This record gives sequence, C-alpha cells and structure tokens, in this order.
Amino acid sequence: MDMFSNLALGFGVALSLQNLALCFAGCLVGTLIGVLPGVGPIATIAILLPITFGLDPTGALIMLAGIYYGAQYGGSTTAILVNIPGEATSVVTTLDGHQMAKQGRAGVALGTAAIGSFFAGCVATLFIAALGAPLTKLALLFGPAEYFSLMVMGLCFAVVLARGSILKAFCMIMVGLLLSTVGTDLETGQERMTLGFAPLADGIDFAVLAMGVFGFAEVLRNLENPEARDVVKTKIGRLLPDWNDIKQSVAPVLRGTFIGGILGILPGNGAVLGPFASYTLEKKIAKDPSRFGKGAIEGVAGPESANNAGAQTAFIPLLTLGIPPNAVMALMVGAMTIHGIIPGPQVITKNPDLFWGMIASMWIGNLMLLIINLPLVGVWVKLLQVPYRLMFPSILIFCCIGIYSVNNQPVDVAFTAMFGLFGYLLIKLGFEPAPMLLGFVLGKLMEEKLRQALIISRGSFMTFVERPISAGLLVVAVVILVVALLPSINKKRDEVFTE
Amino acid sequence: MSLNQIEKAQGVRVRSSQDLAAGLFMLLLAGLAMVMSWELPMGTLRQLGPGMLPKSFAVICAFLGALLVLSSLRFEGEALSGWSWRGVFFVLGAACVFALCIRGFDIGPIHVPQLGLAVAGPLVILISGLAADDFRPKELVIFAVAMSTACALLFKYALSLPIPLAPWLLGI
Repeated sequence: MDMFSNLALGFGVALSLQNLALCFAGCLVGTLIGVLPGVGPIATIAILLPITFGLDPTGALIMLAGIYYGAQYGGSTTAILVNIPGEATSVVTTLDGHQMAKQGRAGVALGTAAIGSFFAGCVATLFIAALGAPLTKLALLFGPAEYFSLMVMGLCFAVVLARGSILKAFCMIMVGLLLSTVGTDLETGQERMTLGFAPLADGIDFAVLAMGVFGFAEVLRNLENPEARDVVKTKIGRLLPDWNDIKQSVAPVLRGTFIGGILGILPGNGAVLGPFASYTLEKKIAKDPSRFGKGAIEGVAGPESANNAGAQTAFIPLLTLGIPPNAVMALMVGAMTIHGIIPGPQVITKNPDLFWGMIASMWIGNLMLLIINLPLVGVWVKLLQVPYRLMFPSILIFCCIGIYSVNNQPVDVAFTAMFGLFGYLLIKLGFEPAPMLLGFVLGKLMEEKLRQALIISRGSFMTFVERPISAGLLVVAVVILVVALLPSINKKRDEVFTE
Repeated sequence: MSLNQIEKAQGVRVRSSQDLAAGLFMLLLAGLAMVMSWELPMGTLRQLGPGMLPKSFAVICAFLGALLVLSSLRFEGEALSGWSWRGVFFVLGAACVFALCIRGFDIGPIHVPQLGLAVAGPLVILISGLAADDFRPKELVIFAVAMSTACALLFKYALSLPIPLAPWLLGI
C-alpha cells in the first residue's frame, strides 16, 4: 500500500500545471531533436541540457526525463522512416520497421511502436515504483567495498556489451577513469595533472566532456560520411494498427516488456540487450521466421517495447544506488549534479517529492509521447528532410550557448572544442566513446569508495572478497568477462552487433 | 604448408594500421599521465595517496595499449583513414570564435569588447557552415540571422539565462 500512497504523492507533484507543462515541453523538444538523423539520445540530452538550467530541481528532472523519452522515441522514428538508428538500441527497429515503411505501412509501424512503448512504459513505471523503496533499503546494506565491487561489475558489463572490439571498449573505460582523476584530490587537496592550470582545478567539467565528444566530434564524424538518407517516399498511411495487427503484436509486446524490463536493471548497459533479445526470441518462436526482415510487425512491436521498458528500468540503479548503468544515465547524473542533486539512496528520503514526482512524470511522459507523436508524425517527416548543412550549425550554436551557460565561462567553450578534437581522434582510431563517459562519471565515486573501503579494512584488499555481497559481485564480473572472451561467444556477439 | 607456417612465412607486418595507431595512442596517453602524476605521492594501501589511482590507471592503459599494438600485428583490421581538416578547422574554429567573442578578451595589444550573442551567434553559424561541402552562401546568411534571433529569444527571454546579448549596442 506504501507504493500507492507514494505514487499518489508523486502524481500530486507531477500533475501541477507547471510540471505538466515542463514534461510536455521536454517530450516535445526531445522528440524534435531526437528525430534528426544522426543525433542519438546522448547527443540530444547533451544539447538540450542548458534549457533546464533556469528551473527548480524537480521541474528540471521532470523535463530531463521527458527529453530522455522524447529522444528515445525520436530515435525509433528515424529508424523506421530513414533507416538510420540513433543509437544501438534502435538498430533492431530498422530491420523490420523500415521494411514496413517501404511497403507503405510506416504509419502502422510508428503507431505500433508508440503503443508498445506506452504499454512498456506503464509497466516499467509500476515496476520502478514497486522496486524503488525496497532497493533503496538494500542500498543501505551496501558498504564502500560493495559499492566498489558493484561499479567494477557495472564497468565489466559495459565493456562486454559495448559495440565493436572488447579491447577497445576496455581502453575507453580506462581513459574515462583516467580523465576522472584530473583535478584537486578530494582528500589531500593536492592538484593532480592540472599543469597548474586554474580552470582544471575542479576537474574536467562533465558537460564539457560530454558535449565535446558527443556534440562536436559527432558533427565532425557526420560531416565526413555524408549519409545516404533513405527517407521513405511512400505514404505514411493510417497510424492505428487494425485488429489483425493488434492480434499479432500483443504477445510480442508483453514478452518484449518483460525481457527489456529485466535486462534494463542490470548495471552496465543491460538495456542495450533488450531489443536484440526480444527480436531473437520473436524470430525463434514465430511460425514463419522468414517473414522477419521483410516487414514483420512482431519485429517492431517486441523490440520497441523492450527498448522502452529497458530505457525506463535503467533508472532503477541510478535512483536507488546512485550508479548510472550506461552512458545516457551517466549524462543524467551529470545533469542532476548540475542541479545540486547527488543521485543515490538518500534522494528518496531527503527529497521524496522529487523522487516520486519524477517516477509519476515518467508515466505522464509516456502518455504524452503517445499523444504528441501520433498526430505530429507529419511534422517529424518534414524535419527529416532538413539538410545536414543547416542542421549541424544549429547543433553547434546550441552546444556553444549551453556550455557557456553552465558556468558562464567562455573558456569552457574552448575546452569543449579541444575535447571535440579529442573525440574525433578517438573516432578515427576506431574507439566508440560511450563507455568513456560511463568510466568518467564512475571514476570519482570509485576512488572515494575504494579509499573508504581500504581505510575500514586497514589496507587489506581481502575485504573485497571476504564480504559475501562484494565477492559475489566480483565473481559475476569475472565470469561475464571470461564468457565474453570465449571465442565462440565472441563470434556470436559480433554477429549480434553487426546485424 | 600448414596454415600456421604460411602465417609465419609472412613475417611480422602491420595488419591493422588503425589498431596500431590506437595502441600507440594509449601508450602515449599513459606516458603523459605518468609524467604528469610523477610527483604525486602513492601513499600506502591503508591511506591511498593522490598519486595511487592515476598511476595505476596509467599502467593499465599502457598494458592495454601494448595489447592493441600486438593484436594489430596479429589480426587483420581496419586501416587508418584520413582526417577531414576542413571540418575540424571550421567547426572547432567556430566554437573558439564564440568563446572569444561572447564576453570579449584581451590578448596582448589586441582588445575585443564584449560582443555578445548578437555577434557571436551569427559568426558561429557562418563559420561552421563553411565546413559543409554543399554550402550555399545566401541560405547560410539568412539562416544565421534567423537562428541567432531564435536562440536569443529562447535562451535570453524564454529561459532567462544570463547571457550577454549585445552590451556594446543595447547595454544588455
């Protein structure tokens, strides 16, 4: 019953006129930017971060959550209509979604994706509400050693689930960790690797790194490979799926929601597995697997539900333990910190308004997406035709104003340009920079917990294996790494990520 | 000849210049971090010093870099592709110009007043727009003016961020 009174509190917060408007605005602009081809959710959130600066923390988080869902949904729209996935999780949607669009069923694909996502979102919201409070209590059992081991496990998952070479993903995590040590040491107050440069004393600013690597460098990458935009020329068609479509997609939506929701909780980007797992399952149990890849509606309904469920349950580790499971959530941590909120188990007790308000607004956000997207599909299609030569200057000016506004420091903009160059170099060297962001955000927390754990254990590393929870987490980390490095699995992994 | 011998016969050669460069990059980064954190005390296990983690991370980075270099000699992979200097120059240059103009700057004898968003905005769009292969001058100018106006309205008025608009002209 606690859950319902909490949810009631949340809805009380989220349904205020101001917060409803913010949620709506967030969903709208999130979709608006997210729908642009070549702009994934990470870039979208980084670009739109500054528009939340003037708000109170609760309003800002509600808006950010809206932007997040909008960006996710925008990514699916591009995947279906243009065959360009905004991020790893919508890759699967391009397979059947774009085929449906080519057959003149784009509307049905979009509608099914929206309805499936909405359903998944509803279930995931309830799931978070139910699990939020007990997990926060569990978090209180976690000492520094457990936190450290949990983060190690999360990073191992992130390495295994990253796109491309495992070795290179590992490199990116380490570079992120290394970058996180720049700045004043928290305990001794000594400056580390700053070269005596004053703006670096506080460490590398999160927004600077994120916008440099995901805003600027991404623009440079896209400028180099002028994408062949395969915008669907045929009619969008009717949006609402007919009775036949519904009958075909009910079961995949249910299964997708379940798979995505469970995988989303895993620390270390489990959410990215959801759509792949759902697609594979649907193909396996289908009566006629050959329909897949040629516009099977199950291939849109399942993965899209899994995608949205995972996107939402990924908030669970963040809100309850304060540990971001993937790069997008790492960005949310950065955003929260800018608003003065340190994510973690204390949020639920200290700011119950904020915690439950945000959860309630997730549901409202999902509803709004359904309402916004179905009638506005025409507008999105128009946006897809904006040429890149006008798109990237707009992205750039948004980034510039945004970074400047974080601290009102022009030098930050120059720094961002430098990280843009750094990001471009990484891309040229074949590194995928998303894991770096995760490593960067987790780095400081890991160092703090490592130090605390070692002080408590009086300098013995055995503490990490002697404490059962910590040992269990480390075992999982080792197992997942070993399994991933086995040649046969490695080959399968490559297949999944290149499909 | 078995496959193994064929491979041996081919000798050591770079099979993936991209991986080789990536490995060298990691080694360089590790070296840089090592040099920069050289003076920092390591501390003891009981009381970690500020130098412990940067140095440990640097060592791991160096190890991974070495692995990448080795694997680039062993496995086929992608080759390095060229840089597009045009994009780097105009896009990052535009950002630097924005940084310089928004609040003004003094470098030696050069003095630039606070130009504000009214100047920095259009400059960013005009300069960065040159990076596209298919840019059209007229379209770009119109777009620069329209987009800057929109940004000024959005950030300055709708979101009331303290960003200077045109202090030299309007005093705000």
